[in-house]
Amino acid sequence: MIRNRKRGIALSAVAGASVLAVVLAGCAGGDTSPDAGPAGFDPEGAKGQDITFWVMGGDTPEEARQYLIDQYEEATGGTLTIQQQDWTDALTKLTNQLPDAKNTPDVTEIGNTWSPTFTTAGAFSDLSPIYEDLGGDKLLNSFVEVGEVDGKQYALPYYFGSRYVTYRKDIWSAAGLEVPQTLEEFNSAVASLRTDAQSGFYIGGQDWRNGVSWVFANGGELAEKDGDTWVSTLSDPQTITGLEQFQALFQDASNAPSTEDDSTPWVNINNDKDGAAPSAATIIAPGWAHWSIGDYVGDDDKGNEKREWNDEVFGVFPLPGTTAGEPAPVFAGGSNIAISAKSTKQAGAKELLRIIFSDEYQKLLAKNGLGPANTDFVGELGDDQFAKALVDSALNSKLTPAAPGWAAVEGQKILEEFFGKIAEGGDVKALAEEYDAKIDAIING
Amino acid sequence: MTTTVASRPVSPPAGRTPQPRRRNWAPYLLILGAAVVLLLGMGYPVVWQIVTSFQKYGALQQLGGKAPDFVWFDNYIAIVHNGTFWAVTVRSVVFCVVTAAITVVVGVLMALLMTKVPAVVRFVLQIALLLAWAMPVIAAMTVWIWLFDRRRGVVNYLLNLIPGVDVGQFNWIGTTPELFFTVAGIIIVWMSVPFVAFSAYAGLTQVSGEVLEASQLDGAGAWQRFRYVMFPVLKPVIAIVLLLNLIWDLRVFAQITLLQDAGPKSTDYDLLGTYIYKTGVAGFDYGAGAAMSIFVLAITIALSWFYVRSLIKEETS
Repeated sequence: MIRNRKRGIALSAVAGASVLAVVLAGCAGGDTSPDAGPAGFDPEGAKGQDITFWVMGGDTPEEARQYLIDQYEEATGGTLTIQQQDWTDALTKLTNQLPDAKNTPDVTEIGNTWSPTFTTAGAFSDLSPIYEDLGGDKLLNSFVEVGEVDGKQYALPYYFGSRYVTYRKDIWSAAGLEVPQTLEEFNSAVASLRTDAQSGFYIGGQDWRNGVSWVFANGGELAEKDGDTWVSTLSDPQTITGLEQFQALFQDASNAPSTEDDSTPWVNINNDKDGAAPSAATIIAPGWAHWSIGDYVGDDDKGNEKREWNDEVFGVFPLPGTTAGEPAPVFAGGSNIAISAKSTKQAGAKELLRIIFSDEYQKLLAKNGLGPANTDFVGELGDDQFAKALVDSALNSKLTPAAPGWAAVEGQKILEEFFGKIAEGGDVKALAEEYDAKIDAIING
Repeated sequence: MTTTVASRPVSPPAGRTPQPRRRNWAPYLLILGAAVVLLLGMGYPVVWQIVTSFQKYGALQQLGGKAPDFVWFDNYIAIVHNGTFWAVTVRSVVFCVVTAAITVVVGVLMALLMTKVPAVVRFVLQIALLLAWAMPVIAAMTVWIWLFDRRRGVVNYLLNLIPGVDVGQFNWIGTTPELFFTVAGIIIVWMSVPFVAFSAYAGLTQVSGEVLEASQLDGAGAWQRFRYVMFPVLKPVIAIVLLLNLIWDLRVFAQITLLQDAGPKSTDYDLLGTYIYKTGVAGFDYGAGAAMSIFVLAITIALSWFYVRSLIKEETS
């Protein structure tokens, strides 16, 4: 249902003259309405506030960062400092610094799956008074939901990404294979392509973020809410079906180590510098990976290989679902954004959000291949094959359970361990029960 | 000990003013600085850790959503019943004993080598050891991970050059935990040998050349010269470096974490340091993490206590 609605939005997405745009344009001039108290925007209070914004990893492009700095200065006269954090230790840094008013970032990007842990613990400010002004219903629904507690928004979507399949057209057609219409066809096609030197489909054993698509596609879930408590559902029949498919897929189609996760799958699908054959015929990767896939065209000045996409050799498609014509639900990549509850500069922080959710910034994100938080601008992603695969797979994507303890489940690498053991050929049902117990112990925080 | 003795009121001999006692304040003042720094730097975290180990302290508590509840010994009881924790503990102890022992043996051999080679070679050797010792862990690990990389690693490349050997893209760190810890052990030995080698070499310079020569004339072989002439001199040095290495290798963290980042994330590949981090910090169970750390602290103190006692014995004898 949600999918159809979003697809409708996407298809009709023509940038522009929405009511929202008018509202935001009006706001940009300076909201001087007398009732703008501390709960909503407070442009007066924001005057001259110097704030800090944490971005995670290098996904936010330089152009967008500069835009934010300039616009923030124009709006408030204050300085915006953007600090980039590493994804790997961001979770620890956030837990250490958010509670500390002196060291907290005022605004922070946050991994979408971590949102529930932080929002339920009260780490973020209530954004419900400005939610409508920032886009309301138009913001990507699943991301808004993970940031909600009792109907109030504490974290909003920042951008979304998605995973889709990249395949070697040359290898697939040499084997007489066509783009698969169902997940079953996909599984058997990639299994037939495996040789000792080549993975039919390269997927690491620990790579649960991609492997979970087989669970989702079969109607399975990682966890479900039962009344007030979250329960791990790895042992549910549908989840088991998906996990067994993943096990078969890993063993029949992938030469990757069972101890590998989703680090850099694209190195496997490229021919190497000297033209030697690739070690994989098919991979699944986040949308931006296509910049690293293609023919070798020399090194850049830092010595990194440059790759140029070649339509003759490479192609993309969304991972097919169990019924033809329907993409499998993949794990939605992306981030949320929130204001630290401990920040002493709430007014400035809200002004920054106003800039981030403005039409111009949303377009800027989309232009750079990041799925915009405001679905009105999905069309701005373009209409090339990458944008199409991104949008098609994203619209059917799912998030991890919005449970308070989910960040702990990820932090303890429980799913990496679980999927790794399944990939090694372990007994799926027994493992599922064992890890259900482990997850149940911490999923409710 | 010093404090009790010094602060005991000394009755001065009759007829003399207690003036000299005033001067006794100077040592206290001097100690005060170190004591304050120690108390703030070490005492505060330790106290916090002890308190936290008695609390239910998770993400909610850390982020200010809820005040921590005192649960007294619940965290400790949970540890006792946690089979994974004991498996990790046993693994850590075995790992630290083996790596520390190998480190000390290799280090002493290096020191002996240094006494035998010409000055120029010794100089080169010492510089090489110093560089290995001074290398930041992250930089060294980047190189080590590359050496053992399955695709472009030097180890696989060299092995494949040997005629008749084809290891292909053998996965050194992600195949079995045993292999993973062998690689980790090699890296840690490499990082710790220089310290042992320098300490042992310094000790060896104390061995009198005349005695060595005399024993040689008396017909002592190389092993006997080492066992009966050099070893007694080296013994205290070896004892302290062995203890230090045991402690370092027990709480090893960075090397294991970085190796895990390059591959296996499963708890089967954890040692105490990474397991505590995983549960306590990344897994938001600060209470359990603190309790486990206290346990490791206890092991460390027990180890050191053993050493300190033998040291005192030696000094008094």
